[in-house]
Amino acid sequence: MKRRDFFKTAAVMGAATVGSSAFGSETTTRQPIDNRPISKINFPEKRPMITYSDRPPLLEAPRETFTQTITPNDQFFVRWHLPEIPTYNDTDKFTISINGLVKTPYQITLKQLKEDFEQVEVTAVMQCGGNSRSAFQPITGGIQWGSGAMGCAKWKGVRLSDLLHRAGLQKESEWIGFNGLDNAAYYKTPNFVRELHLSELDDHVIVAYEMNGEDLPYLNGYPVRLVLPGYYSDSWVKMLSNITVTDKYKNLFFMDVAYRVPDNETESETPEHKYKTTKPITTMNVKSVIGFPANGETVAYGSQLVVRGVAFDSGIGIKDVFISLDDGKTWEAAILDDGKAGRYAYRGFRYSFKPETYGEVRIMAKAVDKLGNEQPLTKDVKWNHGGYKFNGIDVVTIKIA
Amino acid sequence: MKKLLLLLAFSTAMFAQVSKAVEVPYISYEIKMGKGFDEVNANCLMCHSFGYITNQGPQSRAFWKAKVDKMITHFKAPIAKSDAKIIVNYLSKHYGNGK
Repeated sequence: MKRRDFFKTAAVMGAATVGSSAFGSETTTRQPIDNRPISKINFPEKRPMITYSDRPPLLEAPRETFTQTITPNDQFFVRWHLPEIPTYNDTDKFTISINGLVKTPYQITLKQLKEDFEQVEVTAVMQCGGNSRSAFQPITGGIQWGSGAMGCAKWKGVRLSDLLHRAGLQKESEWIGFNGLDNAAYYKTPNFVRELHLSELDDHVIVAYEMNGEDLPYLNGYPVRLVLPGYYSDSWVKMLSNITVTDKYKNLFFMDVAYRVPDNETESETPEHKYKTTKPITTMNVKSVIGFPANGETVAYGSQLVVRGVAFDSGIGIKDVFISLDDGKTWEAAILDDGKAGRYAYRGFRYSFKPETYGEVRIMAKAVDKLGNEQPLTKDVKWNHGGYKFNGIDVVTIKIA
Repeated sequence: MKKLLLLLAFSTAMFAQVSKAVEVPYISYEIKMGKGFDEVNANCLMCHSFGYITNQGPQSRAFWKAKVDKMITHFKAPIAKSDAKIIVNYLSKHYGNGK
């Protein structure tokens, strides 16, 4: 790491900044901050994106990516936790170690991963638990994401269960810890390790080396990462290098302190009265985001407008997406895509209408899953101190002229 | 330009550009100058960019104190007590919400 000269007050260079003017003093949930500027700087294998930090890299996708049910690799969001990320992985030497309470611990190379096991594919949404955090007021701790800390890709790899099966689980095994190659600056800083209970594993969990037919982008965890369809992405360990089976849950910062919500029915609390017990965020709630039009767009009066967006949940499956143009008084069903990408993927929706009034139109989109769970109105989304799991109904305001 | 790392007969995937080290760009953040900046510079940047500070939104003194405590307790940042105080003052002054 080169010593950098931090004393130069250089230009902003398109880095996202939060001006205090962007935050009111009201204490209700509002629409997430939208239309943040795209940085002029592009990161390796990425187009210029909304950029919060260079170290660790934090990149958000712009709204327009939600018109597509597959997010391009070069616009897929990025969120690392630790600053020291290897800039080079020699794939001839790279291995994943499978160890702990197993009969036969072993190490596997990328080549063996691709040749010795059944290759499987799953199309799945990856979303940060803090996606849309900027909706919460008072402002919670954490990066104030808009709604672009999510994407959907076709992941290819090997079932985790096949890898574990080869090692042979011992009787007492109960937990599985995952660690990647990213490191902290200080030796004593805890590693970004995730633990999963064996009961949480199904055949859909894969160790993936390919994304949309290409190698994983470096910033999305090249050469391999864990893919947990339906789960928030904090558990999708990047540059996965170690899988350890244990009989006891280990106390870990990133499991015990971060990425948790109040352990009550509404998963909510107030800033003055934080709820005593918390639980990890695990599976995603039902959500939809409009990709087009964008906030502030002007559309010609009498033209045919097609609203497009994506909807998803934890894998229950999307039943409907409804659109309202009258502040939620009436709702009309949007047309959904065929759903062939599977229950963990984005379900694309479209809805066309002819604006017949001049002035502002507010477009709202509400997804409903197959169990009848539906997105709440944004004002009804309750506060939690980490700003996690926002799934309020998306609203885009356009001008008809 | 994509460089092929190795040719695998059964795979048509393109390979990531990692035949040599990637370079992650450096961003120069607009950061407020003032008393305590030197301590922030010396203690915070080992692990994260200024983006982590500027992108939290304006926050209370209690929030910033809790953040600095978290860095010491959970992330094991070796921040001296005297420095921690100065850093919290700096953050509340320049990135505070008046509370």
